[in-house]
Parts: sequence; structure tokens; C-alpha cells
Amino acid sequence: MQKTLRLGWLWLTLLLIIAIVSSFVFGPTGFKITALAIPLTIRLPRVLLGIFAGGVLSLVGAVLQGLLQNPLVDPYTLGVASGAAFGTSIGLLFGTKTTSLVLIFSFLFALLTIILVYSVSRIKGRITKTGLVLAGVITSFLFSSLTMLAMVFSRKPLTQTIYLLMGHLGIIFTPANLILFIIAGILACALSIYLFSYWRSLDILATNEEAAASLGVDARKITQEIFIISSLLVALVVSLCGSISFVGLIVPHIIRLVFGPNHRRLIPYSFLLGAGLLLLADIIARTIAPIELPLSIITALFGVPFFIYLLKTRL
Amino acid sequence: MNSALELKDISFTYASSETMLFKEFSLEVKVGEFFGIIGPNGSGKTTLLKLMQGFLKPQKGSIFIFSQAIDKFNRRELAKIIGYVPQENFFAFEYTVFDVVLWGRNPYLGRLENPKKDDLTKVMEALTITDTIALKDKSINQISAGERQRVVLARALAQQPKILLLDEATTHLDITHQVEFARILKKLNNLGLTIIFLSHDLNLAGLICSRMLLLDNGKPVACDRPEIILRSELIEKVYRVKPYLQNHPASGLPQIILPL
Repeated sequence: MQKTLRLGWLWLTLLLIIAIVSSFVFGPTGFKITALAIPLTIRLPRVLLGIFAGGVLSLVGAVLQGLLQNPLVDPYTLGVASGAAFGTSIGLLFGTKTTSLVLIFSFLFALLTIILVYSVSRIKGRITKTGLVLAGVITSFLFSSLTMLAMVFSRKPLTQTIYLLMGHLGIIFTPANLILFIIAGILACALSIYLFSYWRSLDILATNEEAAASLGVDARKITQEIFIISSLLVALVVSLCGSISFVGLIVPHIIRLVFGPNHRRLIPYSFLLGAGLLLLADIIARTIAPIELPLSIITALFGVPFFIYLLKTRL
Repeated sequence: MNSALELKDISFTYASSETMLFKEFSLEVKVGEFFGIIGPNGSGKTTLLKLMQGFLKPQKGSIFIFSQAIDKFNRRELAKIIGYVPQENFFAFEYTVFDVVLWGRNPYLGRLENPKKDDLTKVMEALTITDTIALKDKSINQISAGERQRVVLARALAQQPKILLLDEATTHLDITHQVEFARILKKLNNLGLTIIFLSHDLNLAGLICSRMLLLDNGKPVACDRPEIILRSELIEKVYRVKPYLQNHPASGLPQIILPL
């Protein structure tokens, strides 16, 4: 058992490799070895985007659950996704056909949400965990209704908007948005590594704030930094792939159940498992029905029963 | 004797309160003392402990740790000098006892640095002295309250502190664990550790402390050896209850008996 645990990263990497290979060979027409010819133009970006989205969402979920000491928190609790979704729908409202502009709109609104949540949660000059969660939930409500409003005024068919909002990996790269994707990728790597460097502080934050302070961990300072960094990461993912649900909630739970709560393992392992599972979910999303399904439908159909199981047995 | 911790003419008021809790309050704890702080609920004991750790800042006056102003230290530096055992301990996830004690090495470790052999030795020593080594692989949430309190003490010891602050650390323990815990503290004090022990348990404090401060509403009523503090007129004045007093059969120290 102990040995299996120590080799955890190996199993998770193996899973990820299997998921990547499967992503290349399974298409809407089922398994086809000749399908390997399409990959580099269509499937490779898709696989990269899947690793990026699933990995980052799960990593942020793990970090936020640790920071807020709450196993029910997910990457969207702090409100960023709702702002990004509103940005997407505004972008579509202006009838733009270039994906780059929609992406930029989405990211700008996500940044706006971070600033909004930050200032709402600042009470008497300090950020508290409760303040953050409440501000996040309130902001989500605000932007969800604004998104609805934008969709009502939009003359576009709703399906397109729903696809963009409910999660997809189907961006087609053009020379114009390729550069955006590269910047997002580099930024995401840097921010993820920076979040990981908080691992010991996140462990210690599982105890009372003052006890943590007596061990040299400044909870208030760390709360602010982690809020901003993880919100930026979520903003990157959501503006590129929409709000993919459940991955960031469930994956850290699975890792914690198997490998324990230590963030030194929890954070990187969550990245690996999240990336792998999202790729598998994407394979299902584009093969199970005649048309491609929004990713959140798949992640929720698998995620909800698992979450109920957790709720009944583990919490 | 050198001063371990000194509060000089401090005044402190909570932002939400109108009345001043401490007014030009001074206190000096010497190196090697086993210093007790007692007083009724709301007398300012916990506030005092927070001031001593820099969690709260006094509006006036200064606090010195080994003759250096407390503002000169950052949190990590302070964590190498002061260990803290709170009354209640909460753990959001199922860490093992060993993990929790290893957190005590945090102030000595860089951000991405893994614990070295020396850190693990320090953890094992802390587990040994608190008699928690048998628990080391158990989950911190699945041991008894008395055991958990010893683990938190071990965590504070792994910090290699020079001063140990205890905030009603024995309040929730049964007498078996109270006695064990008090014996460990006594042993640590004999090894030279300065201990500041905040308690509601006048009898236990009277037995283990070398000096005690009796607080009433932010004012120091008396600060002296236990046999001078635990006198019925002082206790009655502060607690508004007239207790019986008897001497401890073994040590001869005064013990309070409730007047029921």
C-alpha cells in the first residue's frame, strides 16, 4: 500500500498518457487508426487545451478547498467564472465572428470580477475567508442574471452561447488566437507553480488562524495572494473553455481520499488526474451522441453521483 | 536573570469597544520562569496573550522579546522564539499526528524545501518528550482531546521555542491528562524553557507556577508567588466568591475549595 502511494505520480501520469492516446484515436466515427492523420491540426490543440483546463481547474480546486478549509468549495466559488461567462455573452452580442475578441472580452470581464469580489470582500480593511465566499456567491448571482439578459437580447441562436458557456475544448486555432493560447499557457504554468509553492502554508492553514500564525504562516496575506492567483488561473481557463463543472470539485477529493491531505502531493496529483479525467470526459462528449455535447453535461453526469457518495460516506 | 518577555506601559483598547482594557500596563517575565496568568472571564488574559505574540498591537507602549522590540520580528522569526498551545484545536482535514508536529519546523524551512534529517530528528524528540510517539501515524481527528493537546504541545516544541505560551491548554482535559500534561510542562521548565501558562484552574496553576499574575478587568491585582496570590481575600475581591483554602498535603501550597 505504502509503495503504491509513493508511486502515485506514476499511476496518474500513466492515466494521463492513456487519456492522451485515446483522445487521438477516438473520434466521432469511433476508433479509427487512420484518424491519426487528423490529429496535429485538430486533436493536438484539443488535447493541450484539455490538459490545461482539467489540470488547472483541479489544481485551483485543491488549493481553494485547503485555503477556505471547506471541501465543498470549487474553482467557481469565488465568482470568476460568472464574470467570464458574461464577457463571453457580451462578446457574442456584438456579433463578432472572431474568436479572439470573444476570448479577450471573457478574460477582461473575469479580471473585472476579481476586482469586484476583492473590494466587496474587503471589510474594515481586511479580507476574510467568509467575506470572500459571500462576495463570490453574490457576484455569481449578479453576473448570471446579466448573462441571461445578454442572451435574451442576443439574436443569435442560443445553442452557440450555451456551448461556449457550458464547457468545450473545440477552439479552432487561427494564427491570430494561437498567440493568445501560447501566452495563456505560459502564464498558467507560471501561476500554477507559484500556487504550488504555498503547499506547506496550505497544510498549516487547516488549523486555527492564530495557531497557524504562531507557526509563521500569515493567513491574511496568503488568503489575498492565493485569491488573486487562483482567480487569474480560473479566468484563463474559463475564457478559453467555458465553465466546465465538477472537475475542480471532485478531483481534489479523490486525491485526498487516496493519497491524504498533504498539499505537496495533493496539488500536483490533482493536476495530473484532472487533466486525464477531462480528456476522457471530452472523448465521451464527442463520441456518445451524433453531435458533440457540452463538456459540463458529461462531467456533471459522472460527478454528481460520485459527489453524493462522498457526501453520504465521507463528509 | 534576563528578561524573556516584557510589556512596557502598554495601553490597549479593542476597536469595537469604548472602554480601555489595559492602561499603562507593565509586566516582565524572566528567562526560566513558569509564569501563571489567572483571572475571571473577560479580565483580559487572552488579550494579553495575543499582545505577547503580536497578533494585536497596543495603542501605546512597547513589547520586548529578549529585549528586542516585537515589531522587529516577522512571523517566521517570532515562530522560532515563541511556541503557542491554544485551548481548542481544529483540523479541517485528516492529517497524521506526524504531519502536524512537522508543521512546527515550518519557520526553519524554505518555501519549496523538504524537511531535512535534522528536522525529522527534532520532530521525533518532540513526540518522545510529550509521549505521543505511538500516535504518530494516526489521524489528528481520531485521537482523544487529551492526546491531541499533547500533540499540539509537541508541535510547539518542534519549533524549538525559548518561550512557550499556553492558553487554557488543560481546560478540556480529564484529570489523568491534566496531570500528565502538567508533568510534561514541569519537566520542560526544569530543562530551562520559559513558560507562560494562562488558566482558569487556580489549583493547578498554583501547583506548577513559580509566579502568578492575577488580572481583574485589565488591571493587575497582584503578581507574586502562588502562596501569596491564592489568599482568600484576594480571590474574593476578584472573583466575588469567598473560597475555602487548604494546604496541599504534599507540597504545602494553597489549594482552593469551592464554597458550596
